[in-house]
Amino acid sequence: MTYDLLSTIIYNLFSPYMLGLALIGVVLGLVFGALPGVSSTMALAVMLPFTYGMETAPAMVLMLAVFFSSVYAGSVSAILLNIPGTPGAMITLLDGNAMAREGKAAEAMAYALIASIFGGIIGWIFLVILAPTIATYALQFGSPEYAAVVLFGLALVAYASSGDMLRGLAAGAMGLIIGLVGRDQVTDVPRFTFGTADLQGGIDIIPLAIGLFGIAEVLSLLIRSKTDTPAVAVSRARTWPKFSELLGELPTVLRSSTIGTFVGAIPAAGSAVAVALAYACEKRLSKSPEKFGTGIPRGVVAPEAANNACVGGALIPMLTLGIPGDSITAVLIGVLLLHGLRPGPGLFENQPDLVVTIYGALFVAILLTALVAGLIGIPVYRKILAIPQRLLTAAVLVLCLLGAYAVRNAVVDVWVAIFFGAVGFAFIRLNIPVLPLAFGAVLGPLLEENLRRTLIIHRDVSVFFERPISLVLVCLSLAILLLPVCIMGLSYMRKRRIHR
Amino acid sequence: MKLKATLGAASLLSTLAVSAFAQTFPEGPITWVVNWPAGGGQDTTSRMVADHLSGALGVPVVIENYDGAGGLTGMRELAKADADGYTIGMLGASSVIQQYTTDEPVMMDQLDVLSFFGPDPGALTVGAGTAYQTLDDYVSAVKEAPGDVPNGNDPPGGASYISAAIMESALGLELNKVPYAGYAPTVTALLGGEVESATVPLPQVLEHAVSGDVRILGVMSGARHFLAPDIPTFEEQGYDVLAGDFRAIVAPAGLPADVAAILSEALIEVLSAEEFITLANTAGYMIEPLGAEEASARITAFDEQVYPVLEEAGLVTNPK
Repeated sequence: MTYDLLSTIIYNLFSPYMLGLALIGVVLGLVFGALPGVSSTMALAVMLPFTYGMETAPAMVLMLAVFFSSVYAGSVSAILLNIPGTPGAMITLLDGNAMAREGKAAEAMAYALIASIFGGIIGWIFLVILAPTIATYALQFGSPEYAAVVLFGLALVAYASSGDMLRGLAAGAMGLIIGLVGRDQVTDVPRFTFGTADLQGGIDIIPLAIGLFGIAEVLSLLIRSKTDTPAVAVSRARTWPKFSELLGELPTVLRSSTIGTFVGAIPAAGSAVAVALAYACEKRLSKSPEKFGTGIPRGVVAPEAANNACVGGALIPMLTLGIPGDSITAVLIGVLLLHGLRPGPGLFENQPDLVVTIYGALFVAILLTALVAGLIGIPVYRKILAIPQRLLTAAVLVLCLLGAYAVRNAVVDVWVAIFFGAVGFAFIRLNIPVLPLAFGAVLGPLLEENLRRTLIIHRDVSVFFERPISLVLVCLSLAILLLPVCIMGLSYMRKRRIHR
Repeated sequence: MKLKATLGAASLLSTLAVSAFAQTFPEGPITWVVNWPAGGGQDTTSRMVADHLSGALGVPVVIENYDGAGGLTGMRELAKADADGYTIGMLGASSVIQQYTTDEPVMMDQLDVLSFFGPDPGALTVGAGTAYQTLDDYVSAVKEAPGDVPNGNDPPGGASYISAAIMESALGLELNKVPYAGYAPTVTALLGGEVESATVPLPQVLEHAVSGDVRILGVMSGARHFLAPDIPTFEEQGYDVLAGDFRAIVAPAGLPADVAAILSEALIEVLSAEEFITLANTAGYMIEPLGAEEASARITAFDEQVYPVLEEAGLVTNPK
């Protein structure tokens, strides 16, 4: 690539027209993403017709701006209302909303923003420097590897679930069973649908999370309100954390962003898997895992860095292989197709200027998101906290139900949300951790699909031990699961020896 | 006398009502049901047509995406909507198949066909690392080892699964059909070598064929694909295989004839416009604007072709 071409591209990107489009995109993304139930995919699909009349470069600038900022904004409703706006924000609400309840909502949003920006930049760096290399690895990720990585994720979740491990495992198993509802991916036979056609599509993760976290929270609030503890305290507390505190989160950001990029690069994995892995990993590595879920910044930083790094990650298979990493990049590919461009191996050779434009556009989107969300977004979002508690609770309940409906335009999802609201409330009262259930429901279908496909192709489980990536992952999973048992066994033997 | 007058007045009124209705349709926004989530082929094509249709009819055409039950949720919503022309939607091959493979399906007689959009023929593609250089190689290899060659396709009932099944039954082959959740994971598996062949439509693999990562051995349509005029059809190579997806625009059954005519004409006008065809072709979609009758005939023909294949594959749970 010549210097001239590069400077032309950069000059074009910073033209008032392009920056204006990016700004519009960022603002729309910040609004769409913050609305419960409106996913990034929907935001992009709504924008799609506006790009018909545009050139390719401005169209990508607009779409990437909406994409990146909406992924960040998903954390807003998670933190303020305990409703996950996007699948990637499912984990953010655990610590984010707990912080908000302590009156640190603005700080939580600031942490989420900073983590998102750094996660975005790290994902972007991976994209720019390593795209072809990562794409080659992503291709080697067949069904056995995929099944093994999900198994590893489940093992991490089992280990990292708070409190009583047995209760955690029970909740996780329930999640796995919930993941079985719907049409069998391999034989197309409906399972556990209780004879209704409505459940044939399975239980969507967003209504489930809205019920489990949002509605359950409203129900507990009704009980708590007798003691008059505010749900989200309005406070004049600081927004921006100290530099030294941020420095302490740096390793988390690096680890979570790496996980996010790689999971994002595996086709069809998606941000829900990335945040689950990142959170479980941080909890596993933490010296005080019991603090996760009680409102610590790390619990916000890990998922937010991961889901925004996913953006760069998802663009890797899209640009290098022409394969969408998730439904969001599927829309982006649609934009390219409409302009007569077929992303794929030829894109780098034939259209280097477009590739560089996309890199540049994503970078501009990240910077503008930082600027707009930091200067305008957080102060405006913060205003929500000034709404009186009673009105807010009622509004949250309405938003929960609307959000559940909006995901697939299906009334059954409203019932799913209400049902899991009751389940979540019961879990809180019974002291059963809710998170493993959500993880099980996310990871279970992936494990099943890939395990069964592996067996259809290879016809033998031994394939897991013959391929290097799956071998390592299966061994790690076994180690994680068996380690506590071994330690328990050892200490038991030691005790017996002492008693003797 | 009185009765006659009343009847006369009533019939006069009803004629007035009908003509007034015809003149004023559409008065408000039209909802366009897409029975798949945002971002897929069904969604992209729907948004393209909806955008232009809105210009032709002078009212907004609003896309509503449904997800779930392999597209059945959306079809149910469409079929149970009021038959007043204000709810229309896109129909694909999978909805025809689902009539026989699901318990509470939407049958084709619950829908009125407005127009055809175009075909999306299946193709047989093999990985560059495989030994199959020609369709003959492939067919003889599969015949030698029945059930051993892994082919990437949709879950049972999906369009690329049916393409594979039609090929199997027409040529007397037996494949190891490996299900993937959609075209993107299927193509990934083909590129990564997890499956040796795939039966996804040609636009999905074209770029990889150009770069030499896969070989397209044949197209399952009557004529060659406009995007790849150098790739022969199955028929040209002596194999009688016609399979693939298609798209048509439908409404709930029982639409008033004049409303159906207005919609059908507007759709044909949109789909025949040079500008629209260029837009759709650059995006990789074949356009074949056919009116209500011809489109119905096409769908019926597909229906009759696919039923025995489904029966043979043991997928029929709701027999004809």
